[in-house]
Amino acid sequence: MGGPTSDVLALLDATFDAVVIMDDRGRITAFNRSAEEMFGYRATDAIGRNVSMLMTSADRIAHDDHVRRYLGGGEPRILGKGRDVRVRHRDGSEFSVFLSVGRIPHSNPPQFVGYLHDNSLRRKALATLEHERQLNRLYLDLAQVMLVATNRAGAVQLVNQRALRVLRVDAAQIIDCSWVDACVAPEDRGVARNAFRALLMSGSDEPQSCEYHVRASDGEDRFITWRGVALRDANNIATGVMLSGEDITDQRRAETEAHRALERMNNVSRLATMGEMAAGISHELNQPLAAIANYAQACRRLLRMPGADVPEISGALEQIAGQALRAGEIIRRIRSLVRNEDVRRESQDINELIREVHTLLASDARVHDGRLELDLAPVLPKVTVDGVQIQQVLMNLVHNAFEAQGTEAARHETVRNFENSGAAFEVRIATRSTDAGDVEVSVSDLGPGLAGEVEQKIFEPFFTTKPTGTGLGLAISRSIIKAHEARLGYRANQPRGACFYFVLPAHMEMPR
Amino acid sequence: MKDLPQIVYVVDDDDAVRDSLRLLLKSAGLACEVRGAAHDFLGSYDPAQPGCLVLDVRMPGMSGLEMQQELNLRGAIIPVIFITGHGDIPMAVEAMQHGAFDFLQKPFRDQELLDRVQRALVRDTENRVRLRHTDRIRDRLATLSPREREVLDLVTQGKANKMVAGDLGVSQRTVEIHRAHVMQKMEAGSLAELVRMMMAVSPRP
Repeated sequence: MGGPTSDVLALLDATFDAVVIMDDRGRITAFNRSAEEMFGYRATDAIGRNVSMLMTSADRIAHDDHVRRYLGGGEPRILGKGRDVRVRHRDGSEFSVFLSVGRIPHSNPPQFVGYLHDNSLRRKALATLEHERQLNRLYLDLAQVMLVATNRAGAVQLVNQRALRVLRVDAAQIIDCSWVDACVAPEDRGVARNAFRALLMSGSDEPQSCEYHVRASDGEDRFITWRGVALRDANNIATGVMLSGEDITDQRRAETEAHRALERMNNVSRLATMGEMAAGISHELNQPLAAIANYAQACRRLLRMPGADVPEISGALEQIAGQALRAGEIIRRIRSLVRNEDVRRESQDINELIREVHTLLASDARVHDGRLELDLAPVLPKVTVDGVQIQQVLMNLVHNAFEAQGTEAARHETVRNFENSGAAFEVRIATRSTDAGDVEVSVSDLGPGLAGEVEQKIFEPFFTTKPTGTGLGLAISRSIIKAHEARLGYRANQPRGACFYFVLPAHMEMPR
Repeated sequence: MKDLPQIVYVVDDDDAVRDSLRLLLKSAGLACEVRGAAHDFLGSYDPAQPGCLVLDVRMPGMSGLEMQQELNLRGAIIPVIFITGHGDIPMAVEAMQHGAFDFLQKPFRDQELLDRVQRALVRDTENRVRLRHTDRIRDRLATLSPREREVLDLVTQGKANKMVAGDLGVSQRTVEIHRAHVMQKMEAGSLAELVRMMMAVSPRP
């Protein structure tokens, strides 16, 4: 019996289908590689054996019958046509193949070639495809983000479970509907349409971000941050968009809540500081009030006396007025401390704020025969502050600085004249960017500076080194700076004098 | 000796309070001297000067309380009226425990202060009279012989001459002679007066 030539064998081995050649007595003469894989026999084992070993028992009888009939000159039953048959694996398992049989031309005795096409492969491919589809669906539905795909016209083509839950709709209700019209909150539709158009127009595959509200079927709006990409066909034409959205409503709410809590806490700590100060405040207010009461009562007595001492009485009345103003000043300062209004913080240019104060402080400088210098860094990040409060702090610090030099000058006039060619005292407001990129503001003078024990107490309420001071200025300034998440600090100035400073965090521009 | 005129001292660091107190006391016809700090007062204080002291509790440097303790250490008897703000009540209580005469919360009615000042001045006079009285008694006690002092102690305990004689192991007659010397040296008109004198100089319970 003549087997196929090696050329033919190579050809057979390359075919995807199993190929089995048999002679007129049903003996296998060739068994290609795919056949080996399909049936589990090696070619060397299969060749020479009867093909019936590859068949189920039912087919075996029929097969012999077919061969006999054909060889007997009868009608060929299967030659040239294909049909599904059951076959048997070496391990005994049975499976279906599509079988087509042909007679090898000019073979005599005749040889037949069978092509066996494994149906299960096709089915497997189909199953795999289906499986992948289900997986994809699962991926979509498992995703914690909303996924929505639309076509070029903006009609919803695909939507995942997460998106459906947020929108509280069934897929059928929005598939093929306009995404913007069906799902976006009316106020935000302009934003959503622009974002959609921008995606279709952009030539880039970079995802684009935007934020807008969707409206659920029950009317509730949810705030979503979106990332979108354009879907493109083989010719790179945009066919639609794919959006992934994260529901940040609760997060935003929590942030707002946390922010409010922080504000409340600031108020509480401000009130706690107030509590500590209350005793001191009442003492401080009692001083002028006691003086007023004493003067007034003394006046009444003096007036009842014969030959009342008018200059003495008039002096006492003047004192009364002065002490009433002193009390008022203390109250005014306390009020500015306990004001519980919402702090109005805005992104501000600190240099601009300082220039505004400069105008106001120029007169203070003149009163003290002094000079107020500005040393402002040309480029600074913006800071988020209550401008008026920061200006209050600056005015307080500058005022203190002039006063400190005033008293110092009185004590050490000769020293000053020796050191300083000009008559003016100098106070300097400086701004600079710190290494961390924050903004430092400092107010320095050339006065006596602070002695060690004074430095310890300088920020305590009612501590004062000034004969007419209330001791509240620095305490209030510190509380204002503290409310700005910063610290009012002191350091010695070089070559001499005091320097008060605070560092404001640089303002980050939040993308909206 | 003749008494010096009484002076009301005011020690308060607050210029306005101090000056207004000066004027108020002056308007009530009281001699007054004011000081702005504790050490100013202590530096010039004469314990022999009768009067009273109006003292602010809360002052920078030496506080009113510290100044009171310093006066106590010096054995000063000047009555102290503390004036306090609202927050200083615990300090005022402490001041009273250390023998302050009274305290007043600022602000106050003129009459409240003047009444207290008047009472403090009366107390100061009484103190000084009593002090002089007890000084005299101590002077007389110093003239007694040891035996006379023993007799005095026993009779002022209420013992009869006979019992004193028994205690001391001497005759009743001898006791009678010592007793007559005691009454004479102590310038006591009666046993009752002698007992009062002894109570005046004995440490108070």
